[in-house]
Amino acid sequence: MEGDQDTSGFTLVTRKPCFGLPTACPNCLPAYIYLKLAQLPFQLAFNSTFPDSEELPYFESGTYVAYNNEDGGVIEKLEKDGIVNLDSQLQSLPDYLSLKALIVSWLEEALTYEIWVGTEGVCASKIYYSDLPWVIGKVLFYKQTYLTKNRLGLTKENAEQREKLIYKRASEAYEALSTRLGEQKFLFEDRPSSLDAFFLSHMLFTIQVLPETSVLRRKLLEHGNLVRYAERLKSEFLEESSSSPSPPLHSFPSSFSGKGSKPKSKPKTEKSEEEKKFKKRARFFLAAQFLAVVIYVSVMGGGSSDEVEYEDDD
Amino acid sequence: MANPADKPDPNLTTPDEGEVREEELEDIEEEDDYEGEDDNDEATASKPQTREDAAASRANAQNLFRRMGVAPVPVRVHDVIVKGNEKTKDHVIEAEVEGVRQATTLQELLEAANVANFNLRALDIFDSVKITLDAGPPELPDTTNVVVKVVESQSPLAAELVTSTKSQARSSTLEGSLKYKNIFGHGDIWDSSLAYGCDNSGEVGLGLYLPRLRGRPSPFTSRLYLSTQDWLKFSSYRERALGVSLGVLLSKNHELGYTLAWRNLIDPTQMASRTIRRQIGHSLVSDLKYTFKVDERNSSLRPTRGYSFVSTSQIGGLVPDSRTLRFLRQEIDLKYAVPLGFYRSALNFGVSGGITFPWGSGYKSRASSVSERFFLGGNISPVCSLGGPSALWGFKTRGLGPNEPRREVEDDKSGDTYERDFVGGDVAVTAFADLSFDFPLRWFRERGIHGHVFACAGNMAELSGNKYRNFTAPKFLETFRSTVGAGIVLPTSLFRMELNYCHIVKKQEHDRAKSGFFLTFSTPSS
Repeated sequence: MEGDQDTSGFTLVTRKPCFGLPTACPNCLPAYIYLKLAQLPFQLAFNSTFPDSEELPYFESGTYVAYNNEDGGVIEKLEKDGIVNLDSQLQSLPDYLSLKALIVSWLEEALTYEIWVGTEGVCASKIYYSDLPWVIGKVLFYKQTYLTKNRLGLTKENAEQREKLIYKRASEAYEALSTRLGEQKFLFEDRPSSLDAFFLSHMLFTIQVLPETSVLRRKLLEHGNLVRYAERLKSEFLEESSSSPSPPLHSFPSSFSGKGSKPKSKPKTEKSEEEKKFKKRARFFLAAQFLAVVIYVSVMGGGSSDEVEYEDDD
Repeated sequence: MANPADKPDPNLTTPDEGEVREEELEDIEEEDDYEGEDDNDEATASKPQTREDAAASRANAQNLFRRMGVAPVPVRVHDVIVKGNEKTKDHVIEAEVEGVRQATTLQELLEAANVANFNLRALDIFDSVKITLDAGPPELPDTTNVVVKVVESQSPLAAELVTSTKSQARSSTLEGSLKYKNIFGHGDIWDSSLAYGCDNSGEVGLGLYLPRLRGRPSPFTSRLYLSTQDWLKFSSYRERALGVSLGVLLSKNHELGYTLAWRNLIDPTQMASRTIRRQIGHSLVSDLKYTFKVDERNSSLRPTRGYSFVSTSQIGGLVPDSRTLRFLRQEIDLKYAVPLGFYRSALNFGVSGGITFPWGSGYKSRASSVSERFFLGGNISPVCSLGGPSALWGFKTRGLGPNEPRREVEDDKSGDTYERDFVGGDVAVTAFADLSFDFPLRWFRERGIHGHVFACAGNMAELSGNKYRNFTAPKFLETFRSTVGAGIVLPTSLFRMELNYCHIVKKQEHDRAKSGFFLTFSTPSS
């Protein structure tokens, strides 16, 4: 009744999964990918009732907790506390900081713009507020939209110019990253780093969550090597436990609707299993019915002949 | 309530009743002397009388008293006339004096008039209320008209400072309110209030009170509130709620309430334990609450005779949206006081229990909301707290029950000192026995200061979140906490204070309790 819970092991608490991603929140996905790249076994838990929290995602192990609003983020905190560190000796490289700045400022800003303004918040509603009661969800959504526009410095007068600047910077960042990456497996020294986690998260979100009409998505898909990079890392690190192979990322556009439904491959495998179960049950039912008919006919047929004999006896 | 069969006592205790009887005598004199009159003219009543007339009046009055003492005097109420109300609607006043129409004898009429007077004063919107009996129409003998004269409050604004124990806050609160009375003439009282509780809780609210709802004799209250309850020290979370609550007192014993609130749990310290971390966030509460209450004790602050029983049932999530908080909650509280006959001593017993559980899909594995759980301990006396398990002598606020370690931090002083969060229980039981007695000295007796010795026990456990699998009755009984003690009770006009010495007989690891002196403050429960 009292006492500690079984808190052995690691748990990452994020916002809920959606759009085929293990967590659909663009702030939580980098931490998830980072732990997967580090191949650290952990459990996933969800918090769907606090969309305006800056603490999420947080990592816990027993009484140790690493919140996202401490020490520069949950990934930095895990590195600092020695839990997992993919960036050892990389931080001294000159490219590292500049690429990191590119990803966490320009690309992050572009993604935030696209989620809350570019797509009019359709994806944001589903990611952050779908598990909250309608009234609360609506109020928090409008509040967050207002705050985001303030943070991005958007006003009625400068909206168009800001949008152009944001997309231009995103384009330049993709160009720089595409050049830097080439056909390598990772961004740095053929080993995964936190930058791979941040960038892969950005890419997966842009491709799988944003609708086909998204400007940012179109710009990203122009760089084939980036899409291949994302596909490779996704299949190697994020789908280890999944038995069915996922279709390539670039084919997602054809299978996704604007509202961001799950990819058809997953429902297809689920459907086939369900169909099999259903067919099996149907077969049993038919067999049982057939047997019942046979028994009925045989018993009633034998009974009627008995009756006739009895009558004859009478 | 006076028994109509009793002899009426000319020396009445309440001035209103006395006033009614005096006026009644004068008007009965009028009836005898002025049979043609059918309106209440006070000037007529104050007409100077001759000595013979006065003597005749006295004789008549004495004759009437004799008649009333011997047998019921038949009378029928012909009409109820309301005067003096400029703002208040007639039907509001007539509804409170409706009882006089049912009276068939003079004795019943006097009693009903007394009750009506009390009811009208209880509306709290009049400066004075006067009920007089006047002669009925001359063609209808043995009838009377009841005249209600009211003086409405000159200043509708009133300020008030009260202490109370709200079952919601589970602690004593000090509340200051500003009331605006009778704006629309329906006996409506609008108030804005600010409340502060001993447990660092605060509330600001706007309320409306109606004495009757759609003609039914059920007082209706509604309240829009914004409240904060700070449990950081005990459970590492702060609760904020913005909501509206509606309440209807269906009868003396039955009350129905509905609350719709946006509740937010936050942890600004970021030190919470695992269970509390999982609860942080927003929720919508839509719950219906039914309370059945019987309090036949002779006093709520020092009961020496009688019993009380309170049952509260709550169901949350009665809306089509499955994302609102869905829970069931039941509390019962039974108290009994037995007088022992010497030094005004009395033995008080009490047992209290409560259970809460989520409902809806996945209800077994879902943890109940920490705001709906039970917590025991604090500075309230179990003798006074009414409604559900909450108080236990000797244990600090939220000082016992299921608990978890908080987040670990590096502490320079010692390696692993970190405190624990008390996360509450889904089932809780408390019981107590208290023997109170007066001191031999008159000085104490005059001030109501008395002593008591007591014993209490309580326990709680988690059931939700699959923890019911670990629950067994023997283990629950084995881990019961208990306390014995003695102390002095000092009643004041606002609250009851106890200075007790408590000896913890049994507690569990991590409980916040130790033997020693404790102060408790209790107010009449609302």
